[in-house]
Amino acid sequence: MKLFDRFFERSARSVAQRSSRRGLLKNLGVALVGGASIPLLPVARASQGAPQKPLEEGDPSSCEYWRYCAVDGFLCQCCGGTYNSCPPGTEMSTITWIGTCRNPVDGRSYVISYNDCCGVNQCGTCLCQRDERDRPLYRSDKSNDINWCLGSSSYVYNCSTAIVVGLAFEE
Amino acid sequence: MIRLALFVAVFLLASSQVSSAEMNEKRAKYNYQMFCQGCHTQDGMGGRAVPQLKGFVGHFPKSQKGREYLVRVPGSANSVLNNEQLAEVLNWMIITFGESSVAASWRPYEIDEVGELRKNPLMEVLEYRKILVAELMSENKIIKVENE
Repeated sequence: MKLFDRFFERSARSVAQRSSRRGLLKNLGVALVGGASIPLLPVARASQGAPQKPLEEGDPSSCEYWRYCAVDGFLCQCCGGTYNSCPPGTEMSTITWIGTCRNPVDGRSYVISYNDCCGVNQCGTCLCQRDERDRPLYRSDKSNDINWCLGSSSYVYNCSTAIVVGLAFEE
Repeated sequence: MIRLALFVAVFLLASSQVSSAEMNEKRAKYNYQMFCQGCHTQDGMGGRAVPQLKGFVGHFPKSQKGREYLVRVPGSANSVLNNEQLAEVLNWMIITFGESSVAASWRPYEIDEVGELRKNPLMEVLEYRKILVAELMSENKIIKVENE
């Protein structure tokens, strides 16, 4: 029994001489802070799905801009608004048609809401017609030939936005 | 005997849930965005001539007729979604937008149920909805009507 006591006493003293309580606190602190910061690393964020804002590339006033893959109309970016907002004096239609476009920067497909801006008159600038996955009028929810200003107080079409509303689901 | 009854009850509960649409939340949200949101809007508030889902859609399944209505409206019955996806997106909409309108006794739509109901789509949907809401109100299943 004494042999055991002596062995553990020596071990305990040895540990006590080689370490300190502050050292324990320091290591514990590093572990806690380090562990908490792991989710902030880019790798962890990427695994959580869509970024809040897609990585952008290209000119939003050009018809070739990635978000416009299914648009048919005047680009609000050229009409005093942006791809996300309507020109002053116009009203964004609440009803709209929705499609998906692949972002060339990250290679992911995003859900795009092509809300029309309504009121005043037709913008007449930057006409863009790409029509990817556009469907005939009998699939009205997937047709860009409809005047979606029917959902607004003014039925006069001015221009089209291209708002990212989410990441497309892929099986 | 009690153990046997318990076993049978658990078995029945488990087997009934197999046929329910299992929720894939990301797919449900995507299908809502692609096939419903264009009119019902991102937050479910609807708009001009488009019924409000938010805080209201959960009232309908309080009656069998109302439960059937949500599947028989043209946007559901005639959609390109298959029965599983349609049941899933309907359940997602009720859970996401229903809020206090959802009864505690609500049970999710099942795949076969949706498949059967959508065979009989509604034609005069707005008129039918008015009558249905009036019936639910007369039965005190709806107290307050919004966006009518």
